Amino acid sequence: MPGTNVRRTPADLPAPEVPDLHRYRLRRTEGEVTSYVGMIIFLGSWAMMFAALFFAYAVVRLRAPMWPPPDQPALPILVPGLNTAVIAASSLAVVLASRAHALGRHRRASIGLGVAAGLGALFLGLQILVWVGVWRAGLLPSGGPYPSAFYALTAFHALHVLVGLAALGVLAIRARPPRGTTRSAVRLWGMFWHFVGAVWVALYVAVYLV
Amino acid sequence: MSTAAQALAEAAQPIHPPPTSFWRQYVFSIDHKVIAKQFLWAGLLFLLVGGTLAMLIRWQWAYPYRPVPVIGQLFLRENGGVIGPATYQQIFTTHGLIMIFFAVTPVLIGCFGNFLIPLMIGARDMAFPKLNMYSFWTFLLSQLLVLASFFTDLGSAGAGWTTYPPLSTNVGTPGPGQTLVVAAIFVTGVSSTMGAINYVTTVIRMRAPGMGYMRLPLTMWGLWLTAILNALFVPVLGSAALLLLLDRNFGTQFFVAGASAVRGGGDPILFQHLFWIFGHPEVYILILPAWGILGDVIPFFARKPHHWYKGTVWAMVIVTVLSAMVYGHHMFMTGMSPLLGEGFMLFTLLISAPSMVVVLNWALTLWRASIRFDTPMLFALATVFVFGVGGLTGLFLADISMDLYLHDTMFVVGHFHFTMAAASFIGAMTGVYFWFPKIFGRKLDERLGKAHFWFTFVGITLVFAGQLLAGYAGQQRRLFDPFQYTFIQGLRGLNRWTSFFAFALFAGQFIFVWNFFKTLFGKAVPAGENPWQVTTLEWTATGSPPPFHNFDRIPEVVRGPHEFSNPEVRRLTGRDFAGQSEVLPGSAGPALAAARG
Repeated sequence: MPGTNVRRTPADLPAPEVPDLHRYRLRRTEGEVTSYVGMIIFLGSWAMMFAALFFAYAVVRLRAPMWPPPDQPALPILVPGLNTAVIAASSLAVVLASRAHALGRHRRASIGLGVAAGLGALFLGLQILVWVGVWRAGLLPSGGPYPSAFYALTAFHALHVLVGLAALGVLAIRARPPRGTTRSAVRLWGMFWHFVGAVWVALYVAVYLV
Repeated sequence: MSTAAQALAEAAQPIHPPPTSFWRQYVFSIDHKVIAKQFLWAGLLFLLVGGTLAMLIRWQWAYPYRPVPVIGQLFLRENGGVIGPATYQQIFTTHGLIMIFFAVTPVLIGCFGNFLIPLMIGARDMAFPKLNMYSFWTFLLSQLLVLASFFTDLGSAGAGWTTYPPLSTNVGTPGPGQTLVVAAIFVTGVSSTMGAINYVTTVIRMRAPGMGYMRLPLTMWGLWLTAILNALFVPVLGSAALLLLLDRNFGTQFFVAGASAVRGGGDPILFQHLFWIFGHPEVYILILPAWGILGDVIPFFARKPHHWYKGTVWAMVIVTVLSAMVYGHHMFMTGMSPLLGEGFMLFTLLISAPSMVVVLNWALTLWRASIRFDTPMLFALATVFVFGVGGLTGLFLADISMDLYLHDTMFVVGHFHFTMAAASFIGAMTGVYFWFPKIFGRKLDERLGKAHFWFTFVGITLVFAGQLLAGYAGQQRRLFDPFQYTFIQGLRGLNRWTSFFAFALFAGQFIFVWNFFKTLFGKAVPAGENPWQVTTLEWTATGSPPPFHNFDRIPEVVRGPHEFSNPEVRRLTGRDFAGQSEVLPGSAGPALAAARG
C-alpha cells in the first residue's frame, strides 16, 4: 500500500493531553517495556537453573553422613559474610546510578556504575581469597561431594558476577556525559546484577552458614 | 483507514528496510522467517541422520551379526560392515538424542515457532530479533558438537539418550565423545532458552490490536505454552548437564557412586531427578506444538469453528501445569517411597482428563463436518490416531503395578515413540504440508504428499505397534542381541517384520524429500495468498511468502481464529470463511467490532 511505508514515531501522533509533560516524557516506551518483560522471563528461567543446582546440593548433602566430613576443613564464614555486604552495596550503587540516569545526571550515573563494577571486582577478589584459603587447607574438587558442591556453586556464581561486572564496567564508560547510555541498558543490567546478588545471599546462607 | 490502535502498534513497530547484502539476507539474518527456514533445514537434515540411525538399530534386531548393506560399507568398514556392541550403544544413544533435541525440536519449535508467532499474532518480527539469530547459531554449534563426537576416539555418546550416570561418567564412557554430546545438550539448552524467552515475550507484548488471548489461534497457544515450559525446565537440564560435565572433566563427585567414589561420592539417582524434572515437561514440549497445529488444521479442513475453543485452551494450560508434577513416574523403579509413587501415579493418570478434553474437542469438531481431505488434514487425522494409541498405552505405564512388569521393555519404547515420535513427527508434517505455501510461496504436490502420508501413517503404526507387542511379550529395550535370551527367541519373526515395516517407512520418507526439492526448485505455480481458504492472519492479511516486514499495515483483529460456515458471512461475502482482521462489507467497521469483543 503506498504511503504506509513511512517510518512513524510517537511524535507524529496527536499529542495526548497530559498535565505533566515531563512525567509523560519519562514514561517507558513500548520497546522498553518489552525488554523489561523479556528480562524478567530470562531471570525467572535462569533462576530455575540455580534452583536445580541448590536442589542437587541439598540431595548430596542430605545423603552424606556428616557435613562437613570430619577430615575436611570447614568453610570460612567471615570473609564470605563481608562479601555479602560488598555485593549488597554494589546493588545499592546500581540503584542510585539508575535513578541518576533517569534524571539525566549522566556523570553521577557513570560514577555509580563504576562504583558498582569496582565493588563487583572486590567481591571476586575476596572470593578468590576464600578459594585459595580452602584449597591450601586441603579442599580439592575431587575430594568428594562436599568440596564438589562448594566449588561448583561458588564458581558458577562467580562466573555470573564476572559477566555482570564486565557489563557494568562497559556501561560506566558508555554512560559518561554528554550523551549517556540508554535507559533500558542501565535498568536491564541492574536487574541482572540484583539477581546475581540475590543468588549470592541464598548461596551464602545455604553453603557457608547452615 | 487505520484506527488509533493500529497507529500505535505501527509506531511501536516501524518498518525497517530489508537488508541487501547476501550475508545479512540469508546467513546472519535477523528476519524471523529466514531463521525459521534455517531451523527447518537444520532439523530436516538431522531427521534424516536420526532416521538412518534408527534403520541401523532395526537392522541389528532383524539380522544381528550380519553386515549392514550400503551404510556398513561406508561407515563400519573396519568391522566388515557388522554393527559391534559398542557401536550399537552409540547408535541407539545418538538416535534418541538427535531425534529429540536436534530434529523434532528445531522443526516443531524452531521453525514453526519462529515463522508463525509473529505472523499469526500480527507482529512485524519477534520481540528480540537478534536474540533469535543467536538462538539459531547456538543451536547450529550444538549440532556440530554432536557431529564432531562421532569422529573422536571411542566414538560418540553411548550411555543412552537419558545419559544416566554412572554409565555416563568417566567410569562407564571414558571417551571424549560422551563429553562433547553432554556439552551439546547444554549448548542446545542455551539455544532453547533464548528462543523460549523470545517467544513468551513476543506473545505477551506484540499481539496486534484486537488479538486477545482468547482470539489466538490454537497453534499460538501450543507454541506459547511450550515456550513457557522450555523457559522453566530446560535450565534444569542445563544444570544436570553442567554437573555431569564437572564430574567428567574436573573430578567432582555429584553422580559418581560405588567403588570409584571418594568419601561415599554423590548420588546417581540425583541425575535422574534433575533429568526427569526437565524430561517429563519435555514430552509436552514436543507434543503441545503438535496439539496446537491440530487445533487449527482440523477446524480449517472441517470448515467448522473449533468445538469449545476455550475448553481446549484451558485443557492445554492444565496439561502444562500438570506436566511439571508427574516426573516421578519415570522413576518408579528407583526405590522411591510407595506413597510418593502413588502421588505421581495419581497426577499422571489425571493428565488424561484434560488430554481427553482436547481429543474429544477434535472429534466433535469433525462431527458432521464437510471435511476436505487434503494432505495436511490426512496428517492431522493420523496424528489424532497415533497420539490416541500413545496416550492409552501411557495409562498402562503410569500404573505402578503394571509398570513393574513393563518397565524397561520395548513396550515403553513403543509408547513413547507413539507419542513423542509418531505424534510429534506426523504433527510436524501436518505443519510442513500446511504452511509450506506460506513459507516458500509454493504448494507441495498433493499426489506425492498423499503417497508419503500412507507410507508414513501405516509404516509408523505398524513399526511402533510391533514394539508394543514385543515389549508386552517381555523383550527388554536397548539389547544388542535380544535373541541371546531363550524367552525372546520366539520374537525373532516379530522383530524382523517390524524391521521390514521400518525400512518401508524410511523409504517412504524419500517421497517427501523428492516432493520438497521438486516443489522448491522445479517448475511450480505460485500458491497464492490463501490456498487453503482459511482465516488466520498469516493467510488473510499478507502475501505468500510474506514481505520482510510481514504486514504492510498491522492488522486489527476483529474475530476469533475459526470463523467458518457462518451464514451471515456467506451472505455478505459469498465465502464460507472470514479472516481474523477482515472487515465485512456493510458492517459498522472494525472499531465497533472490536468493542463488541
